[in-house]
Amino acid sequence: MTVRALADRWRGLTVARRRQILAPVLLGVGILFPLVTSNAGNVDAAANAFTYVLLALGLNIVVGFAGLLDLGYAAFFAIGAYGYGIAASGQLRPEWSNLWAPLEWAGQVSRLAMPGQPATVQFHFSFWPMLAVSAIICAIFGMLFGAPTLRLRGDYLAIVTLGFGEIVPVVARNWEGLTNGAQGLGGIRTPKLFGFDFGFSPYPYYFLGLALAAVGVWISIRLQESRVGRAWMAIREDELAAGAMGVNHVHYKLLAFAMGAAVGGLGGTFYVAKLTTATPDMFTFPVSVMVLVMVVLGGLGSIRGVVLAALFVAFLQSVILQDLTQYVHVLGRVVGSPFLQRVELITSLELIFGLILVLMMIFRREGLWPAVRRVSALTREQQAAAPARGAAVKLSWAHPPVAGGSAHPLLQLERLSKQFGGLSAASDINLTVHAGELVSIIGPNGSGKTTLFNLITGLIRPDAGNIRFDGQDIAGRPSHEIVAHGVARTFQNIRLFNNLSVLENLLVGEHVRLEASVLGAIFRPPRVRAEERRAASSALEVLEIFGNRLLPRLDHPVYGLSYANRRRTEIARAIMTRPKLLLLDEPAAGMNPVETLELMDLIKALRDLGITVILIEHKLDVVMDVSDRVVVLDHGVKIAEGAPAQVRSDERVIEAYLGRRRRTA
Amino acid sequence: MSAFDVLFQQVINGLALGMMYALLALGFTMVYGIIELINFSHFSVFMTGTFVGLVVLSLLGVTPGSASLTGVPLVGILVVLFAVTMATTGLLGVLIERICLRPVRHVSGTAPMITTIGIAFILINLVLLTWGPQAQRFPQLLPNWRWTIGGAEVTFKQVVLFAVALILMIGLSHLVRRTTLGKAMRATAQDADAARMMGIDVDRVVVLTFFLGSALAGAGSLFFGLYYGFTGYYIGYTTGLRAFTSAVLGGIGSIPGAVLGGVFIGLTQSLGGQLIGVKWTDVIIFSILIFVMVCRPNGLLGAQTPRRA
Repeated sequence: MTVRALADRWRGLTVARRRQILAPVLLGVGILFPLVTSNAGNVDAAANAFTYVLLALGLNIVVGFAGLLDLGYAAFFAIGAYGYGIAASGQLRPEWSNLWAPLEWAGQVSRLAMPGQPATVQFHFSFWPMLAVSAIICAIFGMLFGAPTLRLRGDYLAIVTLGFGEIVPVVARNWEGLTNGAQGLGGIRTPKLFGFDFGFSPYPYYFLGLALAAVGVWISIRLQESRVGRAWMAIREDELAAGAMGVNHVHYKLLAFAMGAAVGGLGGTFYVAKLTTATPDMFTFPVSVMVLVMVVLGGLGSIRGVVLAALFVAFLQSVILQDLTQYVHVLGRVVGSPFLQRVELITSLELIFGLILVLMMIFRREGLWPAVRRVSALTREQQAAAPARGAAVKLSWAHPPVAGGSAHPLLQLERLSKQFGGLSAASDINLTVHAGELVSIIGPNGSGKTTLFNLITGLIRPDAGNIRFDGQDIAGRPSHEIVAHGVARTFQNIRLFNNLSVLENLLVGEHVRLEASVLGAIFRPPRVRAEERRAASSALEVLEIFGNRLLPRLDHPVYGLSYANRRRTEIARAIMTRPKLLLLDEPAAGMNPVETLELMDLIKALRDLGITVILIEHKLDVVMDVSDRVVVLDHGVKIAEGAPAQVRSDERVIEAYLGRRRRTA
Repeated sequence: MSAFDVLFQQVINGLALGMMYALLALGFTMVYGIIELINFSHFSVFMTGTFVGLVVLSLLGVTPGSASLTGVPLVGILVVLFAVTMATTGLLGVLIERICLRPVRHVSGTAPMITTIGIAFILINLVLLTWGPQAQRFPQLLPNWRWTIGGAEVTFKQVVLFAVALILMIGLSHLVRRTTLGKAMRATAQDADAARMMGIDVDRVVVLTFFLGSALAGAGSLFFGLYYGFTGYYIGYTTGLRAFTSAVLGGIGSIPGAVLGGVFIGLTQSLGGQLIGVKWTDVIIFSILIFVMVCRPNGLLGAQTPRRA
């Protein structure tokens, strides 16, 4: 077979199949490398490179997945390192008490008795459990440092993390009892496995590092392609819309900080066990920047990108610059330049980091190896095709109302009021919407329609009044909880997750109907697998509602969709939350008459499936056509309510839209 | 000296330090006010300024070994030193804006800030490559006069620095409040697009802001050199972060806030060093930074809300 044929076959494989082939190949190369190279120095450098890989993967979770720029990431490297360092060295010698006995029995500490002095405890915790313990300690610190930043936006968050990143090494330097100060911890024990001591040979560390890096990659991939990863990316793309889709941003941001810190902690533990010492200046700002360089170079959010970039930076540091220095020295001797003979290129490593950051930001912000998204272009026919009107709309989870059943009130607004400064956006609004109704809200610009949606979905708190939904009081609840109760919405100015595909946008919508937690996402037990399959088929079902409008564009990033298709995607995403009540804010804006009719058919079909709909719309002809009831707002006051025909002839409505008739004497 | 005298002495020291932080903080605040960018390269422009000062002085024949000057030669050298250094760092700021920041100015998110971190690293390491890692002595041209006030001592150095800082700040305040350029700056800070539609050349305003901010950082760097008598490639980061804390504390985007914040941080450093211990100074200052960011992001004077709507 030719190379081209092989490449074509490779391209034809699914992602999962490619991984099944790539994983053993890469692991095999990794395992064979130290056997092939005869140089122990190379193996040592490669073992250090795996530390970089772990750090880059950890920071990628925080910055790449969740979009939280952490400039103090080295702090977690330090905490992990000191965590193991203190537990495996003679630094702390607390007085012996019998509380230590179980640990002594487990072989983790021993009792040290000197004649004439109280007995003390000698720590020699084993490396393996400490890997987990360090990761957990780091995760806790990750949440601790992350918690104050929850309300801050991009660069302010970065500064606060930088502050913590500065404080940690200072504490490590000054808290001498715990850390031995500037001299650092010494005599840290090396790991043992079944009686075999890792000692000071680089080979066992190389294999351990390889295993840890592989675990890091595995965790990253599993997280990225899970409910958790989608929630992170949703927050990264649009925090407010993520909340409206049921993602609790406090929970998921803290989770990102914790997971990122835990992976960094693994790196720190491994690094210190290999080095057997830890000093405060190993964890300063330039280290945080170095890890950031790896992530930026590889591509934010791209797992293979950051791994390759981490390996490249390590290679640059330990091989390329060293070799180049030799060449430059030779050149210096040839041309007789004493400067060239003395120069050590490794000292310009940070200069190179600086150049990488600036050049990448100006010329290639997506990174050198971004997470690719292969999209096949649509044919002309596919693009032009319009679905036939009147196709059957099915949703397996919906409960169409039984004919003749009595409708219960689903949403009740009582004396709802909201002021913005001196402007009354909602005053004393009373409204009851029954299950299965299609109610339209109309009114001139600035009459408080969207404010009403924002109040119902929890984006803003009412100043006064009650909102009861399905028997529960939801006024002032956070929006992600309200979604879970069964209220979904779209936004007047479309708020999609722009860099995610149509399918991914829909899957975020399913967030509240799925249950996988972090552990579920990583280990993917049968329950989670089934859930993911269900979510995917449910997304396809919802997409089918829109006929061939969205289905062919399943894998397209939504920023490339037409305006009408983005509106449809947003509606589809809202339907994915399995709402009892769907709030549509000007869904037909920007659609042509044919598309508008198609959309109105769809909205009626959703109502017939038992989904209650409240519609804000300016195209009055379609409103009058589809609505069961019309509510008119003006200056935050409900001025009319009733059947379309009745509202159309209401004096006050005409007045609100067209102005007051001149009074004739 | 009594405990009160010690404190009083630290207040005087803190005020002098505070002026340096204030000059640096002004650069942060002006740039943030106009383009909402946290400019890390400001740290290293400040650091580079001390080396520019060294070069200027050696060209003028003043070396670390020279005796201090008095009278007309002192005033002459000071004027030349400040003028040339400030012009050079100002141009450096302009260069940074034109080459590195303009291409990313309209990119949303953290890309512009990451760029400034890159620039900071480049500058620091260029200085490191040129002058080496060891600290350089900075000529002490100011005579070592001192006066006693109560139990504390005021040095001539402190008086000069205080006076120069005041002159610069009054000049800046005049520029921002009373000139057409100042009006253009304030308009751009409010809404760059609207300013552009009113015929303001926003690019020019941004460049001039970088020039002014970096020139003030140049002045601040001379303060550092004259006050501490040394410099090194590493001084920018810590001092810069303290100055940044000053800007945030005063309310980022607010010019009087930056001065107030600078003085506050200067006092915190000298009094905190006296009362708690020098080794904890950075922990105190970064804790202030974090606390203000989290609890009162508008700072003390709260000129501008730092979150976008």
